[in-house]
This record gives sequence, C-alpha cells and structure tokens, in this order.
Amino acid sequence: MNNKLKVLRAMRSWSQAELADRLDVSRQAVNAIETGKYDPSLPLAFKLARLFAMPIEEIFDDGFEGPADDA
Amino acid sequence: MMVSKDRPMTRDPSPKGIGGAVGWPIAIALAAAMLAGIFAGYNQAAVENGGEPLPAWLGPLVGIGFCAIAGAFYLRAYGAVWRQRSPRKRRYWLALGVAALVGALIGVWSMADSDTPVAEVAMIADGPVSPGFAIGASLLWLLGLAVSMILYHRAIDDHEERAWLWASLAGWYSFVFPAPVWWMLHRADLAPPVDAMALFLLSLVVNAVIYLWMKFRR
Repeated sequence: MNNKLKVLRAMRSWSQAELADRLDVSRQAVNAIETGKYDPSLPLAFKLARLFAMPIEEIFDDGFEGPADDA
Repeated sequence: MMVSKDRPMTRDPSPKGIGGAVGWPIAIALAAAMLAGIFAGYNQAAVENGGEPLPAWLGPLVGIGFCAIAGAFYLRAYGAVWRQRSPRKRRYWLALGVAALVGALIGVWSMADSDTPVAEVAMIADGPVSPGFAIGASLLWLLGLAVSMILYHRAIDDHEERAWLWASLAGWYSFVFPAPVWWMLHRADLAPPVDAMALFLLSLVVNAVIYLWMKFRR
C-alpha cells in the first residue's frame, strides 16, 4: 500500500525517530511503513491521521480506482 | 568573550543516550561476575595448595555489593534517560533486561556448577549438572521467561509484534517439518535418535533470523 508518510514527515522537518516518538512506536516501524514493507494496524493508522490532521485515505492509498460509490 | 543572555553560564552536561543506559548495566554485571570469579579462583587455588579457602558466600556477596553500589551511581547518572522515555519503551527495555539477567544468571551458575570450560557451556551441552542447579535453572527459566514475555508483549508495537509472530511461525515450522522425518528415519535405523535439543536450537536460530530480518530490514 502506498502512503505519503515520508512527504508529510519531511514537510514538518521531523526525523523518523521524532515521528516514532510522537506515535510511541519504534523508529523501525516508521521506516517500514514509509518504505511500504509494513501496513500499519487500524489503531496506528488512526493515530497517524490524528497526528497529521488528515483523513486516513489521504495518507494511505490502496490503489483502488473503481467507482467510489454505486449506491 | 561575549556570552548570550539567553544561554546559561554553566556548560550543559553532555546528553546521555540509550547506548550508555543499556551498556553500563551490562558492564556492571560483567564486572560483578569477574569479582565473584576472582574469589572463586582464589578459593580453588587455596584448596589445591592445601590452604584455607575463604567462605564460599564471600565472592557472591562482594559481587552483589558491587552491583548495589555501582547501580546507585548508574541510577543517579542515567535515571533521567529512562524517565524521558514513554512507559511503553521503559517496559520494553525492562523486558529485555529481565531476559538478559535470567540468561546471565543461568550462564554464570552453569559455569560455577560444572567444571566444563566456558566454551563448552551451552544450552545443548549434555554433561552432568547438580540437582540444585537443574531445579534452580529450570525455575529461573520458567519464571524469568514468563515475566519477561508478559512485559515484552505489553510493550512491543504493531510492527515488532508482526515480526515476532512471523518469526514464531517460522520457528514452529522448523520443528514441525524435520521432527517427524527424523523420527521416522530413526525407526528405520537410517538416522541417529531424535535430538530434541538440536531441534530446539534450530527453531531458535530460525526464529531469531526471521525476527531480525523482519524488524531491521531497510
């Protein structure tokens, strides 16, 4: 899953360690999310969304391009 | 020399990092073990030369005393480093510390209990040990592992939990695949008897490799 975490972090001039401290996770976790090797759990995704004040789907992109809502 | 009003006149102490906070307890424990070892060596030499050995409890007591004094200095110097960390990270390092302490205690006790050289003291060594050591080390292993695992699983983040779970699965498979094959080949006299500790060691190694790869790959 693609994400904008690296860009959002760079915009705030935070290091991976600083972001990890704000999320209370390890630096390796931040690196793994940024490089796409690990998709965070829903609670951690919500934590990221709150930290960056953005909806989850603006941070993460699952590549789905179908119709948004057929109903 | 001009001094900015915004800056304190005294020199800031250099910030202490996690390296020292983790490294010093290891150094203190090693130094304590060496101190106790010096007393044990002296006693052994005294007995061999027909002399009077010192009381057996003196070496461990000196080691514990050294740990207490050095530990007090350590807490004074590095207490702030731990207080700055989140409760989750403190629990994490505490879990690792408990596991390391249990391992060190069993290792040192094992060396003291048997006359085997240090290089031969290993989990898969099959030399005789005293009943006291066997019971004590087993209790230390069971209780120490339980306490450190409870602390560890309460402390790890999602990413590490995932690494741990995959590593555990790989470790399990490294037991499940070879064990029945070895057992069947042995029944047909095509292989030596199944060595449970060799399989245990294999699963530990596989577990460690997968865990380290999943947690630290870049």
